[in-house]
Amino acid sequence: MENILEVKNLTKTFPGFELKNVSFTLPKGMIMGIIGENGSGKTTTIKSILNIYTKYSGEIKIFGLDNHKNDKEIKENIGVVLDDMFFPEILTPNDINNTMQGIYKNWDSKMFNDYLKEFSLAPNKQIKTFSKGMRKKLEIATALSHHPKLLILDEPTSGLDPVARAEVIQIFQSILEKDECSILLSSHITTDLEHIADYITFINNGEIVLSKTTNDLLDNYGIAKCTKNEFKDIAKQDYIKYKKSKYEYEVLVPNKKEFKTKYNISVIDKITLDDLMVLMIKGEE
Amino acid sequence: MIGFIKKDLAMIKSNFKLLGVLIVIYAIMGLMEKMDISFILPFMCVMIMISSFSYDNYNKWDAYSISLPNGRKNSVKSKYITTLLMTFIVSIITTILSFIISYINTQSINYEQILVTMFGTVFGTLLVLTIMYPIIYKLGVEKARIGIFLIVFGIVIIGSLLANFVDLSNILKALAFLEDYLIIILILVAIIMVYVSYKISEKIYLKKEF
Repeated sequence: MENILEVKNLTKTFPGFELKNVSFTLPKGMIMGIIGENGSGKTTTIKSILNIYTKYSGEIKIFGLDNHKNDKEIKENIGVVLDDMFFPEILTPNDINNTMQGIYKNWDSKMFNDYLKEFSLAPNKQIKTFSKGMRKKLEIATALSHHPKLLILDEPTSGLDPVARAEVIQIFQSILEKDECSILLSSHITTDLEHIADYITFINNGEIVLSKTTNDLLDNYGIAKCTKNEFKDIAKQDYIKYKKSKYEYEVLVPNKKEFKTKYNISVIDKITLDDLMVLMIKGEE
Repeated sequence: MIGFIKKDLAMIKSNFKLLGVLIVIYAIMGLMEKMDISFILPFMCVMIMISSFSYDNYNKWDAYSISLPNGRKNSVKSKYITTLLMTFIVSIITTILSFIISYINTQSINYEQILVTMFGTVFGTLLVLTIMYPIIYKLGVEKARIGIFLIVFGIVIIGSLLANFVDLSNILKALAFLEDYLIIILILVAIIMVYVSYKISEKIYLKKEF
């Protein structure tokens, strides 16, 4: 399968934080969700991919091309929604339309205006008069209206109320049905990703903890709930992390079926990405 | 590139009215033979453009613009081109008005004086631009305000020290032969200044992380 995005050994150092050897690939037509707590390195990864950060080591290829050498060509085909970074808020959607006509070769004014109508955004009102949800929709409309082959979305649902979040997720789902577009999507709101992501990459403290298909994660990973004595019998290689609570142990296991056949523990819950994140970050080894 | 210029123009369009009002005030004051405020007008263009940096900064446009095709280069280029465009248009309007006012007031047009005044004003405006923009790109618009204050302060101090310790009259006498070519020299120096400033800003911006 053709890879749209390949990140190899991406390392970026700041005082007090380091993104360490981040590697992953996004196949064509797929959605990858990057999850991790705030400050884990999600935005650093995205900013490096987009060359907003310039000083890092490692190799990034987009559409098979080096992201530094082919910057212009690549960016003609990428749509971007960044967290809190956009056009100055004194501009209007009409201004954005005029501007983008002079920036993208493939800018589709009709498509942009259709999105404005669909999202009920007034074309001649300043961005500063829009609610947070409306702004996000405008950012998404802007990211989509040049027919990008890859969408890079950094926290596109953060700060939105549940209704606006559901609307935004629905927009992404409809894009996927229409186009052969690939999406790299970072979020700390993991429930959004469970429904739409094909792959999940989990970054913690600047390192990739796991990168797998969503089905693999949700079908195979589980949380075994057991007593202290039962936990003592579990071999270290059969679990990833565990958390003690007042009455029981919650044990993160990578293969529910194998675990069930090996141990006599009856309660193994299905995992959610939230559970996974909490156990991976807060759990003990 | 055109897109970036359109965006900058769209940002400052609300200031066009203010410029228009200033031009009218200038014309009225000129006709009444009161104070000549023509020197303010091109300078206002640069000040308006500097306010556009604040809007960019507030909404983190810089980081976003880098995600657009050729974003880094075009961001810088469009700021310089838009500023020059505005400065020249306003200067041309002011010059034509000066001709008309001069004719109405004195029934003759003092071409030389008006042109020298205007070239001097544009030169001064471009000097501000060439110093300020690289500082803004390096330090950001907020810190640049302090930076420009220190630079102007430094120039004044050095200038006054030079005037105290060096006899400038001999230098001026030696340079007297250049007087006939003053406008051409000003134009050449301005072009070099703006080009060097642009290249410095571009170099800073190409490496900058947001």
